[in-house]
Amino acid sequence: MRNVDRLPKIKSRPFPHVVVKNFLDPPTLDLVIDALAGLEYDFKESDLFSYWASIELTDINHPAINILRDDLGGEIWRKKVAESFKVKKLSSIDMAAYVYGLGDFLLPHDDQVEGRIIAYSLHLTSEITEEMGGALNIFKANDVGKSKLVDSIIPEYNSLIMFEVSDSSWHQVSEIMLDIQRLTVTGWYHG
Amino acid sequence: MAEINFYYLEKPTLSNLKRIFNSGDIPFIRLSKFLAPVPIGSKPKFNRKEKIGYYKRQEGSAILDDFWKSSEFIQFLEASTGLKPKFREANNICYSAGDYSLLHTEESEPQRLTVTYDFTKSWKQEWGGYDLYTSPENDPLICNRDPGSLMVVKLEENDLSCTQYVSQKAVSVAQMDRIVYDLD
Repeated sequence: MRNVDRLPKIKSRPFPHVVVKNFLDPPTLDLVIDALAGLEYDFKESDLFSYWASIELTDINHPAINILRDDLGGEIWRKKVAESFKVKKLSSIDMAAYVYGLGDFLLPHDDQVEGRIIAYSLHLTSEITEEMGGALNIFKANDVGKSKLVDSIIPEYNSLIMFEVSDSSWHQVSEIMLDIQRLTVTGWYHG
Repeated sequence: MAEINFYYLEKPTLSNLKRIFNSGDIPFIRLSKFLAPVPIGSKPKFNRKEKIGYYKRQEGSAILDDFWKSSEFIQFLEASTGLKPKFREANNICYSAGDYSLLHTEESEPQRLTVTYDFTKSWKQEWGGYDLYTSPENDPLICNRDPGSLMVVKLEENDLSCTQYVSQKAVSVAQMDRIVYDLD
């Protein structure tokens, strides 16, 4: 079950984002990680990214995944997310699990695809440090595309990072520098 | 002025290159030790160029700018590809740790011949930084860094190219002269 019932204050710069710590209660967290460990992951690589991805988790009927899907995408939580971000009604979520290993990365992009309102990522790797890589880097970009790194969020265990998708929501996952597995459940709230 | 390795100017070699070039889904030839002697890469004046989500790299004037415009080299391209290239532009491009370029369909260009001469001094494959050429109907073409080699690729209107992200672990720099020729 979800360990929190409200979002902290949304940070507005450079684009609206928030980190919700201790998102799941410990028993649910253990069950979810066990369930994710039992999935198959395919290696995906392009000019933009390199990582391992599961199938779409909204298509899976598994007790722990069902709980997670409800914790992230249930009506009450969706309403709270929409209210906190001051966005229109959120109708659904999609979700998949991703593993970043040594050398994997996701380069700067803004996530803009029709229907995506809020992006989220639930972080499930314990004791991750800055030296390991895998931080969520947040950029501010000017009109000609020159960027400035504004924030580097270390993906703390059991933290949920959310941000509003827009033409300014530039972010990346920094390259994994050590032999770790950075596990997340990631997706978008749709309008 | 740089000189083409004599081997690549022999008639049988040119004929063979033309056959190989025209046999690929994405037409290309890759020629190692293309110049003899190997030119010493003087450092051009670089400007750091960035457009987030598109590219991050350094650019300057091509080290062998005069050579890429020379009749000798253009005649070599004609003989080895069977095409009639017309010089458009040449730049020296450097990708260091964390640099990248990405493929964007909206950046499509008319049919062209791209030439890349690799000035990279030393490189490890795990650092990335390879050149990637894509064509909608074909498998992508991957060209790892290879100091001293010349890569000639014909790209159609919807074909794209980029240089893959360079790992933060890279202690060398991927450096190349990149030249574009228009095709009629």
